[in-house]
This record gives sequence, structure tokens and C-alpha cells, in this order.
Amino acid sequence: MSLLVDRLERIKMTRRDFIKTAAFTAAALSIPTGGLKLIESLAETQTESKTTTVASGVTLPQYIPTNCGMCGGGCGIKVGVINGRPVGAVPIEGHPQPGLCGRAASLPWIYDNPLRLKKPMKRVGERGEGNFQEVSWEQALNEIAAKLKEIVSKYGYKSIAITYHDVCSYETSIFTYLLGTPNAVQHVSTCHLAGSIARANVLGVAGPTLVDPDYENASYLLLVGRSLSTGIMGQVKRARSNSKLRIVVVDPRMPELSFGNAEWIPIIPGTDPAFVLSLINVVIEEGLYDSRFLQKYTNAPFLIKQDGKPLTEADLKDGGSPTLYMVYDSLTSSLAPYNKASQPALSYEATVTLKDGSTVNVKTAFQMLRERASQYSPSDASKITGVDPDTIRRIAREFALYHGVADDTWYAAKNGNEYDAVKGLLILNALVGNIDAIGGLVFQEATGFPSMVTLVQTPDGKTVAKTVYGATMPQEMLGDATQKRVDQLKYKLTLGTFDAVLDAILKDDPYPIRALFIIGTTPILRDMNASKVIQAYKKLDLVVFINVLYQDDADYADYILPDTIFMEREEFISTKWTAHAAVQLSRKVVEPPEDSDPREAFWTMFEIARRAFPERAYALGWKDEYSDYSKYEEEFAPKVIDSKLTAVANKWGIDKDYLRSNLESNGFFILKKKSYYSKPYKSSLGTPSGLVEIYPLSALASGLDPLPKYVPPVYTIPRNPNEFYLVNSKSPMVSVTATILEPAKFLEDRTIWMNPIDAARLGIRDGDLVQVESLDLPGIKAVAEVRITNRVREGVLYTRAQTGGRRASRLVAMKHFSTAGINPDYLAKDSPLPIIGAGATNSSVRLTKL
Amino acid sequence: MVRYGFLYDESKCIACLACVVACSTNNYEDHMSENIPNPYWGTLATNIRVVLKDQGRPEQLLLSCQQCERAPCVEVCPTGASYINKSTGLVEINYEKCIGCKACVTACPYNARWVDPIKMLPMKCMGEACKARVEKGEQPFCVAVCPAEARLFGDLDDPNSEISKKIASTKTTRLKEALGTEPKFYIVRG
Repeated sequence: MSLLVDRLERIKMTRRDFIKTAAFTAAALSIPTGGLKLIESLAETQTESKTTTVASGVTLPQYIPTNCGMCGGGCGIKVGVINGRPVGAVPIEGHPQPGLCGRAASLPWIYDNPLRLKKPMKRVGERGEGNFQEVSWEQALNEIAAKLKEIVSKYGYKSIAITYHDVCSYETSIFTYLLGTPNAVQHVSTCHLAGSIARANVLGVAGPTLVDPDYENASYLLLVGRSLSTGIMGQVKRARSNSKLRIVVVDPRMPELSFGNAEWIPIIPGTDPAFVLSLINVVIEEGLYDSRFLQKYTNAPFLIKQDGKPLTEADLKDGGSPTLYMVYDSLTSSLAPYNKASQPALSYEATVTLKDGSTVNVKTAFQMLRERASQYSPSDASKITGVDPDTIRRIAREFALYHGVADDTWYAAKNGNEYDAVKGLLILNALVGNIDAIGGLVFQEATGFPSMVTLVQTPDGKTVAKTVYGATMPQEMLGDATQKRVDQLKYKLTLGTFDAVLDAILKDDPYPIRALFIIGTTPILRDMNASKVIQAYKKLDLVVFINVLYQDDADYADYILPDTIFMEREEFISTKWTAHAAVQLSRKVVEPPEDSDPREAFWTMFEIARRAFPERAYALGWKDEYSDYSKYEEEFAPKVIDSKLTAVANKWGIDKDYLRSNLESNGFFILKKKSYYSKPYKSSLGTPSGLVEIYPLSALASGLDPLPKYVPPVYTIPRNPNEFYLVNSKSPMVSVTATILEPAKFLEDRTIWMNPIDAARLGIRDGDLVQVESLDLPGIKAVAEVRITNRVREGVLYTRAQTGGRRASRLVAMKHFSTAGINPDYLAKDSPLPIIGAGATNSSVRLTKL
Repeated sequence: MVRYGFLYDESKCIACLACVVACSTNNYEDHMSENIPNPYWGTLATNIRVVLKDQGRPEQLLLSCQQCERAPCVEVCPTGASYINKSTGLVEINYEKCIGCKACVTACPYNARWVDPIKMLPMKCMGEACKARVEKGEQPFCVAVCPAEARLFGDLDDPNSEISKKIASTKTTRLKEALGTEPKFYIVRG
């Protein structure tokens, strides 16, 4: 009987009681001096009265709009809060990029997680042992600054490097000026780099958010090496609201999307370029392309000389323009500059006499593409890709007939050769004329969102750095900040190749890097060859790790500094993943837990600079009084946001208060709806010709083959019966943060997937332990359980990225669930593509049953 | 009087599991620190069970209480704790009457009930927070958070409700119909 009473008592400990307990905890929050105004304004929106208690007595949370920071996506979600504690989230309806996924749903777990970094810590043992002692902010910042000064006096400003993730990239541009170094190098090489370079080549815009399929209006969506289920649920929402959309996914493993109605075409890893070239081959040979679009809006009719360069007016006559590209006009049967021809021929080949009397053979870019693609007939491509020739033909025909759109990719398949695949995909979109068309590949409307720092010329000819909030750093103080980054010296087109930073650390190549700030990111779970990352960490004179949770990289830090979570601060950004021009405001939802003292990375970096290089911090508008964090929260942080709001309001002619109040209540503001058929129809693209370049002249100028081609992936191709490709990707539950939170323990996968045919061949059963050893990095091994599944192609093993195989000392000591499985980055060869700098985190391995 | 039902569109689901996690955070936040919050299913404290089939054509079904019209869990309950709420049509538990005998957990042909390790009592969809949302005229959490439009909830007796329109216009199935349980949980197969 007493047991039953006890049970009844426990059931009575309902949601309301839980909430009251949480309220008590929240009430005990220490309020920093000077922060009262802020707390009051928070209280206004977070009191019990704003929550709802229904007749049954259950209290429902109040919802406050934020930009989700559970991955780098920045989706619009409303965080539910009851008495100062986050309790869940719902999507923001009507938001141009609404959430949410399993990561965002997991956010209550991050708030007071045992792995949460609470106070600054200083290393006491050797790097890698993970022994730290808690220190004051004052001590940590003073010591870091002293060390920085010492390093800069020996090696110069550029010996400092910063690596970071998108979550705070807007602010990060100022860090280079604060510390005088150019070397802020992101995760790009193992994410969107290949796609961004290809996009810049073909369409004249780089970042992955600037061009995207028009999901809500498309008829046919081709995803090669991509899966809609990786992140950005707004894309999913738009695709799923479109009942006529057919989706085809080409991937060595079945993405989550194919549990639903997406057709999955299993392909041999690293052969995407051959598959795409074969689609191009079929579209051209079967005449399924849009000739009018190609003639008018692309450089397909450009005449190309034998040396690969375009024939220009300057080749033909003295004083001719080197940017007037020549075509053959079928109407006049003569050569003409491309912008003068009435009917530029797509197919033409001739010998042309140049102004010096010499002759040269020329043919159209379209013809060159046709010849290149002819090397990849469906039967030839099938031998490379493992995809049936009839399937290739069918997909090509469907793509053309449905007026399809191919995703231009980010976080693509990771074989190091995606540049050619994406270039081919962009060309494929152009072939069917589906650029900036309804249901096509569309350009994002520009928000004109202000840059944090802009380099401007003064009337006296000097270059100064101006911040959005009005501070100016004079030319003589810029230090090395305006030089090329260390990775750009090695890979001239890269937007960020961290491997080059590692080379600078390990080999002083091209110069020494001695200090590293790791902000909101985890290179060990992000880059190629994680052992090399660790080796580099060990050689540095100073490693500072700024984050929310204790991750693998923290073990190698000299100082660990706790950052705030997105819902503990206010942020104002442009909406990334939408074709509309839109901005979004993330409001402060909760105070950090009472036993913690996290500070925004922005404040932390300014305070380090104020101690190390005070003149730099002051020049960028910092004051001594901001060392009081509450003063910063009360004055400086709102000033930065207000200046961004002012810039946006001025640009669009909107009343700032109106903009602000809309943002506060809705979380977003759409500045301009997508207007189709804009580029290249009404205005030029950023390519050299202003047209879509199926034969990219900028690629040619950079020393790259302008046409796509298939080169094998950078890792060794598996040949023997016990050798496999090892591919990885994310699921909608995966981010470095989300995969160490409790839901991932039960809902994520830390196994190695194997096809049943391979399993039968090797006598492996579901749940067996296997060892995989890198074919390219001798001695690098990892162990995991096998899951036998038809979700992976024969000859291929698959594992999640950023999920298992964690080695952080704290996680190991806790026997944390994330220590099971493998981190594929340890097995991946550090071999970025020359010129471009894109790398592979897929690899090949030898498998042994344990 | 309404007769609520659910629809799960497997063909649209991207298996992001937002619904599974949101059910847990909102209905069972007092289980967040438990080692195995739902030992009965070996997963989170959530009313949605992930059923994964890896062989053949891989499939994943997200399964929760089928809100049966003729519910075996109600029929076997010795105290009348499990009942069908006549004003909503939802299968509910009156914990003042529940003695924790678990007959309902065993009787459910869908394995849609689990035993709360803290309270040692059966749990099922909907949780308290979801019921409160519905009381307020909002969608339960699993429906509200879904980014893929894969879930619907509404009045099956209202021909103009989204769910009724979808059922009328799409081929749907119900699980184990042969048992005569008359589930109010409709599935669009992927």
C-alpha cells in the first residue's frame, strides 16, 4: 500500500511542481551590478503571466523568437521558457527560414548540461591530459594577453590564427583587426568550399546561401552528394509544401529523405563528377537543352582558341577590347562580339586569322563541353560510378523534361573532387535554362546587411578600417590584418583551408603560427587527419578554446573560456537560407545557469585585445569600463545591434523602431520578396562576361581546367576484399553540440554501416565489433560496432560525422555514450586540392573483424 | 464534441526526429537527468517509438498511441483508469485510479505504452503538455515542430479539418486493422 501511495505522490510531482522548482533555481540567479535594466526587460517578457496555464492546471511556456544555434544553420525558432529555463522550441510560422529539427528540439539539454563550460579554466598538466583548474576571468585574460604579446613580439601579428564557425562569423571579422592578423580560417575546406568556388566560376557568386533551388516551385530536384535532411529545415519545409516535387538523391548511402518519397541512387563514392558529366552528355546528345537560353544568357557560343583562351576583339584588331568575347553570328555568317550577335551559334568550328596574320583554330565553348561530356557516355560513366547506364539516361531525360533543378551544394560529399561535380551540376542547370526561373536555381535577393568592418579609402589616400558602429582603425594600426591569409598563400582560391594553418604551425610553412583561438568550433571533429590537428595543437605556444561544451579540442587548450549559448544573448543577422531579402533578430531568452559565468566570445576577444594591444581595442571603440560584463551587455552589445538595425533601416527606408518592434515580436522581417528572372536577364552576373559561364573564364585565369572532368578522389581506391570506402555525413540530429546531448544517446547512430552482401561475404553479423585502418594514414585505426543495413551501397562503409569516437578526457572519464563509434576525421588523408584547397573527410580503410 | 485523430505521412518524413525529442522535452522534462529515461523502450522518455527496418527496402516508422475506438488497453484496465475521453475521442489515463498493474501496457497491440521509471506508471500519447496545448486550441508538439509537413492532428468528424481532407484525398492505412481496434492514427506509406 505504501508503495502505491509513494507512486501516487510521485505522479503528483507534476509538471507544475517541476516548474516551481525551476523557478526557485532561477530566482537564485545572481544579478550582476549594472545589469538590472537588462534583467528587468527580460523579466517583462518572461514572467509567469506570459506563460499560459490551462484549465487542467498545466503551464505552457512563453515563446521568444531566436536564431537557432544548435548548428550553424540559424533557423527561426521560438524557444519556450518557463521561469527562466528553456523547455523546448517550436518553429516560427511565416519565417523565411523556419526550424526545426532534432538538434533544435534537444536544446533544453544544453542549458545546464554537465559538459557545459562554466568558468574560465587553465591547463595544469600536459596538453592532452585534460587537467585544468578554475581561474578567474581576470587571471585568464591577463595571462592570455601577456602570452600573446610575447608571441607577437617574436613572430609578428600574423603568427596568431583564429578558427571559428558561422554561428559567430559576423562578429569574427573584427577579431582579425583586434589582433592584427589576417589568419581567421574557417571550416570551409571540409564544407562548402568546392561548391563555392564552382559557383563563383559559373555564376559569379560564391557563398552557398546566395543561390539555392526554388524548392517550393520546383518540379524535379536532383541532389548529388547532398541531402535535404542534413540541416536547414526551411528548405525541407518548402520542398514538402510542394506536392508535385520529385526528388532524386545520388549518394553511396541512403539519406533519411529516402525513408520518404525521394528516389535513392546508390553511387560509388567520389565518382559524382563522372555521373554529372554523363547527365550532361545525354542532355546534349539527345538535344534536350534550352538553346535559346544558352545562346543568350551563357557563354556557350564563345569561341575558344586552341590554348583554351577565349577569342576576343583584341585578338582580331588593334585597339580591340580584350573583354569583348567573339562568337559566330549565324544570321550574318560572320564573327561578332557576343553582345552584338543576333544569332550566336552554339556549334561552330573554324580557323581564324588573328591581327598579326597568324591563324588559330577556334570552336565554341558549347562544342568543347560537348566533346568533354562525350568521354562520359552512360556506358562509360557506369563503369566509373557503378550506376546503371539506363538509370543515368532516365535521370538525364527526366531532369530535362521536368525542367529540373540540381542543388548547387554545400556540405557535399566529401571526396576532395567535388569542385568538378558542382561545376557540372551548375552547367546542367544552365543547359535546361533553369537559372533564376520559377522552380529553378535562384539567386537570393541581397539584404545589403552591413559588414562588421569595412576597409575604406580616406580622402588623403589612406586605408582605414571602419566598423558598423562608427569606430575607425587608422592605417598604421592595421598590422598584418589586411594581408593574405596563410591558407590563401597556399591555395589561391580558398575561402578557408585550416590544413594550411596546421602546416604553418608544424613546419613554419610559409611562416610560423604560434597562437590559436578556437571559437565555437572543433577542428578535431571537422577537419582532415585529426591526428595532425592534435600534433599542431601540441606545438603551439598558446591555445585558447572558447565554446559552450567541453569538446575534444578542449583537452589541448591552455585556457578554456566559456561562451554563452545563442538563447543567452541577442543577435541580429540576415536570414541565410531564403531567396527573399530578410533579417532576423534572436532575442535573449534566458540568463545562463546560476553556477556559471559564461561571456560572449565577442567580449572575451575585446578584453584580451584590451590587455595585449590596448590601442587596437580602443581604436575599435572599446572602453575600459566594458571589462565589467554587465556594462558591455548594457551598452556596447546593444550599440552594435542598433548600428546594424540603423544601417538596414536606412538602406530600405524603413523606420528603425518599426523594424525593431517587428523583429522583436516576430523574430524576422522580410525586406524584399524574391523577384524571379532577375539575373542574368535584367542585370549581369559577377562572372567576367556577366553571363552564366558554362566555360568559366575565371577558372581558366586561376589555372584550372574550365570544363568539369572526373579525377579520382584524393584517397586510395579500395581494391582488396577487406578494403572499403568509408563515407560520412550528418543526419538532422547531428551537430558537434547536439550529438553529445542526451537525445543523441538514444536516437543517434554510432555504428559503422555495412551492406548485407559484404557482411555475408566476410562473415560479419549485426553488432560485431570491427577495426578499420586507414589505407593512407598507416597505423590510424578505430573500432566500432557494425550495423548491417541496405542503407549503404556494397563496398562502402558509412558512419556519422561529428557523432561518435569522441576522445575528450572528460567524456572518456564519464564513459560518455559519444566515445563509442568512430570519428572519421582521424582516418581522412590531409590532402587538399591544389589551387582550391577543398579536402576530403571520406577515406578508404582495411576492415578486420575483432 | 470532437473526435481527434492523427495522421503520419511516412512519404514526407525526413526522420529528423524533432517530434520524438520535442515530445520528450515538453512532456517529460523531469526525466532529463535520468540515465535511461524510458527503459521499457530503451530510449528517451517520449511517447513516440522509432521503428526502424534495415533489411529489404529500409523503412522507418514513428509510432505512438493509435487512439483506438475499441482500445484493448481500456478493455483490460481493472480499475477504469484507462478510458476514452468522450469529449475528445482520445485514449487517456486517470492516474488517480491507476494501480500500475501494466495490463494496458501488455494489452496494447502497438507497443505504444511505456512504463515511467520514476512514477512506475504507464505513459502514453498525449502527454500533459500536449493535452494542454490541445485544450488551448493548438497542435500537439509533434505536429507543431514537424518541418516536413509529415504530421496532422485534428477532428475526424469535421470534414473540413486538414486531417479529414487529407484522409479523403490520399491513400492511407491503419495498423493491424484486422484486430478490430479501429485506430484513429492514419498512415501515408512512404
